[in-house]
Amino acid sequence: MPPVLMALEAMGTRFEAVLVGEDEFALRSAGEAAFEEIRSLHARLSAFEQGSVVSLLNQRAAAGPVRVAGDVFGLLSLCRGVWEASGGAFDPTVGPLMRLWGFRQRGGEDWNPPTDAEVEAARARVGMNLVQLDAESWSVRFSRPGVAVDFGAVAKGYALDMCAEVLRERGVACAFVHGGTSSISAIGAPPGAAGWVVEVKSPIEGVGSKRVSLRDESMSVSAPHGREVMVRGERLGHVIDPRTGRPARGAALAAVVSRSGALADAWSTAGLVLGGGADRLPEGMRMMVLSQGGVWEG
Amino acid sequence: MGARLGIANGVHSDTRGTIMAIDRREFLVRAAGAAAAVALVPEAFPAAVRARNGPVSVGVIGCGRQGRKIAIEMLDKMGEGARVAALCDPVDRLTQNLLGRAKGAAAFANHKEMLDKAKDVQAVIIATPTHTHKDIALDCIAAGKHVYCEAPLAHTPEDCLAISKAARGAKAVFAAACEGRSNPIYNLARSFFKTDAVRTVVGMYAQDHRKSSWGRSGDWWLDPSVSTGLAGESGVQQFDVMHWFRGTYPVEVNGRGAIRLYEDGRQVADSVRATLRWADDTELTYSASLCNSFGGKHETFYGVNAAMKLAWTHGWMFKEADSPQMGFEVYANRQSFHNDEGITLIADATKLASQGKLKEGVGLPNPSHYYAVNDFIAAVAEGKEVKCSASEGARATIVALLTNEAVKGAKTVAIDAEMLKGA
Repeated sequence: MPPVLMALEAMGTRFEAVLVGEDEFALRSAGEAAFEEIRSLHARLSAFEQGSVVSLLNQRAAAGPVRVAGDVFGLLSLCRGVWEASGGAFDPTVGPLMRLWGFRQRGGEDWNPPTDAEVEAARARVGMNLVQLDAESWSVRFSRPGVAVDFGAVAKGYALDMCAEVLRERGVACAFVHGGTSSISAIGAPPGAAGWVVEVKSPIEGVGSKRVSLRDESMSVSAPHGREVMVRGERLGHVIDPRTGRPARGAALAAVVSRSGALADAWSTAGLVLGGGADRLPEGMRMMVLSQGGVWEG
Repeated sequence: MGARLGIANGVHSDTRGTIMAIDRREFLVRAAGAAAAVALVPEAFPAAVRARNGPVSVGVIGCGRQGRKIAIEMLDKMGEGARVAALCDPVDRLTQNLLGRAKGAAAFANHKEMLDKAKDVQAVIIATPTHTHKDIALDCIAAGKHVYCEAPLAHTPEDCLAISKAARGAKAVFAAACEGRSNPIYNLARSFFKTDAVRTVVGMYAQDHRKSSWGRSGDWWLDPSVSTGLAGESGVQQFDVMHWFRGTYPVEVNGRGAIRLYEDGRQVADSVRATLRWADDTELTYSASLCNSFGGKHETFYGVNAAMKLAWTHGWMFKEADSPQMGFEVYANRQSFHNDEGITLIADATKLASQGKLKEGVGLPNPSHYYAVNDFIAAVAEGKEVKCSASEGARATIVALLTNEAVKGAKTVAIDAEMLKGA
């Protein structure tokens, strides 16, 4: 039987699924349930949806503790863990700096960058140390007004984790799902193959791509290409280094493979900012980094 | 016009389900009050209940698709008003899934065990398969719990009547999950409707079109012995909107259905059409399909002054060129649809316009079940009005069940006004 192909527009991108099995209707039903989970997470985790739990946190958590559902608390805890392990290279509170640099508003026009004072003022509202997580009550409180969380760098990976969980619960043993081609979840392997083979293309002309085989794993790829701004003639990527408050100049691309899509997402962002950082990864994860000079590592 | 309305051609009911006839003048007075009461600021969580005596302890009975949605909505946004204290489902995987999200909640395999052991539970959400609602609802009512019961209320008219009878005799709150009645845009639209913005209704249309298999053979809603079909499971919400706006019920329904795409052994139609006729000969054309999503889910009233299209998170009014000016047109936000231009229905538009924030009010930030559950919690915690009584829920369900019967038999079915009156 040919695989069932499905697609969904959510989280500002296109999710696609390839589901392999014998019962087309069972596969389709499982895929719909899995996509329903992604839709739900889009509505809950988007910082741009007025009714999301993230919007509620950003409105209220500076005024007092806000209780959240266990999965949201868990995701915040995961973010804090990566923030600590990466030395702040990954930070879901980086929004004020993103807005300051105009990556969400500006196109390719040339413009003057923010001043040092503006950067410092924005940085004062950035950092997971400003987000207090109370594990006893699953409540969240921001240390000062203006702090905001944004799961944009982990939401797709997390959604794919939940999507894969639903597919497995419904008996799907062979599937490949991606969100915008940058976040991937692979269940099992295609018939006769050791794994799902993914090609990671280099954004640098003349540099070859990398092939990665995935089996019951997730992969995330971060690269600043395609979303850039011109600042005084210099092309800058859309990823901010939260430690400096300025556009990251670490790597040209970072890809991370993990059992967890959320961790893969978070660490690929950290890897891009750090220009590496494989030595900081938790056990069982692996990272590939393409340096600005066009050399693959890992 | 102006004559007192009777059960045959016009019924109005209060939130406790008492049927009463009212005249047009009273309609207008009430509508003016309703319009003044509508207020939606561009904050996403305008009406979240903050219970004075601590959050209401809620037991969610049925942790499948709908129960899970409601539980997550409560966990995410209603922490100050409601606490998910208990989760009930015979499928352990479903309760475990939610247990990881609900701090301190206890899990039970069935509602009897929960009623027996979780004495702190004050209110319950019944989101089990439709055909199981009655027994659970009666047990919960008997135990003195406040009840929010998903619509359709039951899979037979008899069960609907049993639930509404028990609810009428209860001291605790009973709310049927007819979500349109809690929807801020629908409330605004209804206030316009009642002040003759649409004027004489000449026709109605409702559709629920989506591209979805709706599960697979073996799921209870595809079991022909208990399924209420698309008309029951989805149409009930839309039929209730028509009843609520018009204050009257259809007297007859004709329908048909077919399996056009999902030939997986199911016997429940994946595409249905029905025509529901009112005593004044106006008709509602209803279409539901799982084969194509174009147009999504919406209801439209066609009147001699305007058409009103309601799509759950959005609403529009399309005025006829010769209809009188209502005053707000000058600052109204408009959207074009081919040759038609719709005035976007935005609650508290005057205030938003004065703040230059009119566009921020377009669309609802939350799903419709958020508003319905929040209203239920407000009724329990603060004694506020129940938006949809058991009686109204039962009437909408009976109309939906009879529509499903018409679809299954490709026939015309009379809608017994006496049965509706008895609900």
